[in-house]
Amino acid sequence: MSRIVRQLGLFFATALFVGALVVTAQAKDKVKVGFIGPLTGGVSVNGIGGRNSAELAVKLRNADAKATYEYELVVLDDECKPNVAVQVATKMAADKEIIAGATHYCSATAIATVDIYHKFGFPIIVWGAVLPDITYRNKYAEVHRVNGTMIDQNDVNAELISKLGFKTVAVIHDTTDYGKGHNAYFSKSLAKLGGKIVGTFGVTSDQQDFTAELTQVKALNPEVIYFGGLTPIGVRIRSQMDKLGIKAVFDGTSGIVSDAFIQGLGPLAEGALAFREGASTEKLPGGKFFLEKYAAQKYDNPPEAYGAFSYAAMDLILDSIEKVGPDRRKVIAELANVKDRDSIIGKITFDDHGQNTVALITKYVVQDAKFVEWEDSEYASGKRKLSGQK
Amino acid sequence: MPEVMQEPQAPVLPGVVAVAFSTAYLIALLAVEMQPLVIGLLAFGIVAVLAAHYMDWLDPVSRSFAEREGVLSAYAILAACVVAAFFHDNHFVLLLFVTVLLYAVATLGLNIEFGYAGVLNFAGASFFGIGAYTSAVLNTYTAVPHLLVLLIGGTLAALIGSLLLLPVLRTRGHYAALVTIAFALLLKTFLEVNDVLGGPQGMQVKGMSILGWSFNDNFEIGKIEMSFYLNYFVTSMLLLCTTFVLVRRLERSWIGLNLDAIRLDETAASCFGLDIARWKITAFVLGNFVIGLAGALFGMVGGFVAPNNYTFADSLIMVSILLLGGIGNPWGVVVATFIVLVLPEKLQTIQEYRFLLYALIVIVVLLFRPEGLLPRPVRRYFPRGRA
Amino acid sequence: MDVGLLSQYIMNGLMLGMMYTLVAVGFTLFFGVLDIIKFSHGDVLTVGAFTGLATYIGLRSVGVSSTPLLLLAVLVVSILAMAALGMLIARYLVLPLRSAPALNTLLITLMLGTVLREMVRLFYPQGANPKPFPALLPTDSINLGQFNLRLDNAMMLATGVAIIVGLRLLLNRTKLGLAIRAVAQDEETARTMGINFTAVVLITFAIGSALAAIGGVMNGLYYNEINFGMGLLLGVIGFSAAIIGGLGSIYGAILGGFLFAALQTLGAVALPFASAYKDVFAFTVVIALMAWRPTGLIQEKISERV
Repeated sequence: MSRIVRQLGLFFATALFVGALVVTAQAKDKVKVGFIGPLTGGVSVNGIGGRNSAELAVKLRNADAKATYEYELVVLDDECKPNVAVQVATKMAADKEIIAGATHYCSATAIATVDIYHKFGFPIIVWGAVLPDITYRNKYAEVHRVNGTMIDQNDVNAELISKLGFKTVAVIHDTTDYGKGHNAYFSKSLAKLGGKIVGTFGVTSDQQDFTAELTQVKALNPEVIYFGGLTPIGVRIRSQMDKLGIKAVFDGTSGIVSDAFIQGLGPLAEGALAFREGASTEKLPGGKFFLEKYAAQKYDNPPEAYGAFSYAAMDLILDSIEKVGPDRRKVIAELANVKDRDSIIGKITFDDHGQNTVALITKYVVQDAKFVEWEDSEYASGKRKLSGQK
Repeated sequence: MPEVMQEPQAPVLPGVVAVAFSTAYLIALLAVEMQPLVIGLLAFGIVAVLAAHYMDWLDPVSRSFAEREGVLSAYAILAACVVAAFFHDNHFVLLLFVTVLLYAVATLGLNIEFGYAGVLNFAGASFFGIGAYTSAVLNTYTAVPHLLVLLIGGTLAALIGSLLLLPVLRTRGHYAALVTIAFALLLKTFLEVNDVLGGPQGMQVKGMSILGWSFNDNFEIGKIEMSFYLNYFVTSMLLLCTTFVLVRRLERSWIGLNLDAIRLDETAASCFGLDIARWKITAFVLGNFVIGLAGALFGMVGGFVAPNNYTFADSLIMVSILLLGGIGNPWGVVVATFIVLVLPEKLQTIQEYRFLLYALIVIVVLLFRPEGLLPRPVRRYFPRGRA
Repeated sequence: MDVGLLSQYIMNGLMLGMMYTLVAVGFTLFFGVLDIIKFSHGDVLTVGAFTGLATYIGLRSVGVSSTPLLLLAVLVVSILAMAALGMLIARYLVLPLRSAPALNTLLITLMLGTVLREMVRLFYPQGANPKPFPALLPTDSINLGQFNLRLDNAMMLATGVAIIVGLRLLLNRTKLGLAIRAVAQDEETARTMGINFTAVVLITFAIGSALAAIGGVMNGLYYNEINFGMGLLLGVIGFSAAIIGGLGSIYGAILGGFLFAALQTLGAVALPFASAYKDVFAFTVVIALMAWRPTGLIQEKISERV
């Protein structure tokens, strides 16, 4: 044989031989499910809480003798950044062994990845992102969500502000789709109730110095500053408000409902408003059960605001796989039929866009370094007054 | 006329064997998932290279690469195709492979600027991003054919780069570094605050399609299902080969000679009549064009562009790839890109630490082996046995 | 706009300028003495801030609660620690590479900056999250209409001025300062005059890094928060400021620092539609300035050996 042919033969043989060895050496047994959340970065406590909750669901299912399959949870970190989310989403969706996933706390990441899940036919249930567009912009069969959207949140927010007699509001929002969404919905709701928005400022989600924006806000003298964004810059804005001597009420969204907000501000957090869909974890139908089991695992972090939703999402995924087997297309078909399904967060029904309706919105106010429900707080009863409240 | 002694040409076999082993190793590395296996494989690789070095097996390999480059390049291309064929339905590995190929192209562009002409460019990722954003905007809003979009992406990167030409030409050393660093930060902030280009949320990019063949659909040959990333693989491979040939030819031509002269000693070069400005401009513009081209294709591969992908830190990664591989050596660039991009993906445990590790490796390389892993061979003025 | 608002903007600008100046002066000192740019300076600032925070947490946990004492401890510990770090960097990374091409030193210090930043992010507990920095200065403020003069800002500004003046005095009136200036001017001659080159370099690095530590603590006190990435942008801005002013000149560094802050504030005020563009504006001006005056506003006297 000629030299060339021999060289080629040697070549191909080595390559394929080693490859074959390696491939057969790996065993594939368990059914894999995925979880994506922000495990590092400013909102990591929420991501870690969500991960622990999803892990809890998998552990409980594996301990259940009646389960048909054994489950393995694959966890990826989206760092609350859209570009990283796209990478990890591609990685998870492209891996044929992972059947379904509970994904995303940050809306900015969730909206960036919906197209990828659709492209790869990977069924997901969103557990923490509130931007309506995630489920409503396209009609993707793969995308579902167990928590509510920000529309209702902002309606209730505007109502409370007007009820308390505040008329002028300045809006500061981050420039991701999350912040922009909050700005859009809040402005609409407030306008309907006759409130006035004196100024709108967009800030980047990792901005450090807000003195420029806040100096302008101070000149406008609003009674309330509405903040559409996440905890890290919420903390900065609130403390820089204090430095500039701005006495308006700090009104936030579900993005600041987190222990990190209170820890970051200390006494400055007092009197801040926030809203969230769904009841507080203890008041959910399965809340006590969830909190008990969570505590028994002795995790370092609390489940935070959306841990229960993450648990419910993962549980629903596991139920579906139990029913139809580890096949992505069958799981998608199964999830399309979810109607009045029982879960720890109440009954779940996916509408034609895969969205669950969560009717209840909880209002919070920070009192004595804790998020207390508005109705139970001393602000509602009149014993304490918000800044500028008559 | 001086007689050049004709030495017998170096044999091809050492090079072929090296390529074959590398292919097998690469396939193994890409295929394993379990961490202990990966670590074992890596350790094996390092030991193998060191052992080969001690037994003087590396010398024949580098000689065959130096002298029989054409043949060995063909084998390398074949090797890449074998790897791709092996993973024909594994989306993620193919995506990783395509990423490596495109980053290698971009770093080759950086090599033209940095390695040949000595023009500091710490904004490589920014030009990559300009290319990517071009394909995002053009694909979404216009119907320009996608191959043309690639070229436009490269041209736009070159044009925007030429805005920096005046400061780059007038400054030396640290000041020159500042110009490109400032530009890198500036561009990222600009992309972030600018809503037209999607802001921090970024933009989706429609996949490539040529003459109706959409690159984003899986296809089948016979009964075998192929991942759609194979389309991109073929395109990236073509791009890499073209760029590689271009860089090689450039280096060997009188243009490359001029660039080297300017890099080594500007004053002496201008004494010999070389127009410094002209050559620096050529290198900078050409380099940015290549980077932009790679960026435009990468935008379509990933389907998503966001300002956070193209920060100063990413530019530093490109510079570290260049330094690690060996400034001025295209083969070094390719090898270093593989190492820098594939390792953190495989070694999940070090994913967190990868920036730290890159920086440490570069420091170590700069302290102890500034020429890099595959140092640039001394220029050969008398080509041997070349048809 | 009314006087109060204007004063508020001016105050913001002054505070920013002060912090940039502290970093810029460090860059200028290093360049003057060794002709190198130590890119890791910004990240030394970050490490200084985190050291201060760690000191604070440590002291609080053993029960110390007197604020002036805590402030003093935080400052002293971070200054000493950063001075030591600066000397280590000089001794093991910068001095050995003096004969290598300037490019290598630049790259090494850039990478060193990344190493420092990543080490803070990875090894400080939960380093990736922004951390609240305690308010150790009195937080009372005097409200003058639109303008809110806070006591802590005023104190920090005064301290910054004092430090700069002190540095000038050190360089011009003491023997050490004379030695530093001599080495900056001509290394060989200074050595022939009996000046201990290595000692002078190490001390200069110590001083520069101490300045960075003060800058870091000040940054923490001003924003009441520190995060692992704060040094990167500050480092580049400080570097730009030093360059605008002209490397090697302390006055230039001060000029550059305040000029950059002024550019940013101007951008924030004059571009009302997006004050976020202020960074873009400031950096564009820097690049344009570099094109116009390649070695800074206060020209560096360079001569090239042919």
